Amino acid sequence: MLSERERERYKRQMMIFGDAGQERLKKAHIFIAGAGGLGSPVSVYLAVAGIGTLTVVDRDVVDLSNLNRQILHYDRDTGRKKTVSAEEKLRAINPDITVRVIDTTIEEQNAEALVGNADGIVDAMDNYPTRYLLNETALRKKIPLFHGAVCGFFGQATTIIPGQTACLACMFPKAPPKEVFPVVGVTPGLIGMVQATEVLKYLLKNGELLTNRLFIWDGMQAHAEEICMERNPRCTACGTSCEKPGDKK
Amino acid sequence: MKVRVRFFARFRELLGNEIITEVAEGTTLPDLIHQVALKNREGHNAIFDEHGHFREYVILMRNARRVDIADAATQIVADGDDIAVFPPVAGG
Repeated sequence: MLSERERERYKRQMMIFGDAGQERLKKAHIFIAGAGGLGSPVSVYLAVAGIGTLTVVDRDVVDLSNLNRQILHYDRDTGRKKTVSAEEKLRAINPDITVRVIDTTIEEQNAEALVGNADGIVDAMDNYPTRYLLNETALRKKIPLFHGAVCGFFGQATTIIPGQTACLACMFPKAPPKEVFPVVGVTPGLIGMVQATEVLKYLLKNGELLTNRLFIWDGMQAHAEEICMERNPRCTACGTSCEKPGDKK
Repeated sequence: MKVRVRFFARFRELLGNEIITEVAEGTTLPDLIHQVALKNREGHNAIFDEHGHFREYVILMRNARRVDIADAATQIVADGDDIAVFPPVAGG
């Protein structure tokens, strides 16, 4: 049940979502893997939209060189745990939601327990090995994975629905080499907004999701396009173990 | 015959947005990309390894359909083909 305060807070978006939609957001639990360049805008906008529970996981400490893009963290937070900084900001932004933060490394041994009973996973990581782990966790739990990644002025995003769409390993079977990637804050800002929009649409059961479509953004050209993706029957992650299409959660 | 090769992300920085090129009958997909990528050695090396094989993470699309890099050599380019070559973007 929404409180009067919540009705007032979400008034302008409830013009679109209605009571039922806002209630749906309130009941939802979204797991955000990473409180960095993508995790910052994603968590801020999911918090203000009124997602009932946000779990944010990160293992790092705020570094001065993060601050060109990681808008959850301020200059004064340098040296603090990103989870502590994220929790403080998100609670201040919206005290009407529950914010859980976990200061740890996402690994094979703990991924499933960390995600818990979340309704979806936002991929706000900076490396493919952890992304593959999130992909496998999403497949096992039959919950969506909202993928995003950036490099410089380039970004990509897609929404993975287990059993229905290509999974991350279908699309990118091999990880690119790990490197220190160039990035300017506007790119994760934009890609993070695509991911957060996907989360809202999924929870509201409205609109066309970025399923089997890889959204590609080139900020320098101000050009977006999409590339169709298909499930790979030989995929090592979902090729044999996925549920049949139509098997929704 | 004419084909269009488009690059994305890091490949685009090194090789440009797109190249429309004339190719001979019977040209395979790897041959085509070798030819167009040779204009920038760094760009070529980003796509191909020292043996001239596609790097394992390279994504190839032909007319909006995925081509497995292991099968690319069996694909003969046709007039009007639209080829996309890109790496997975990794940062967050």
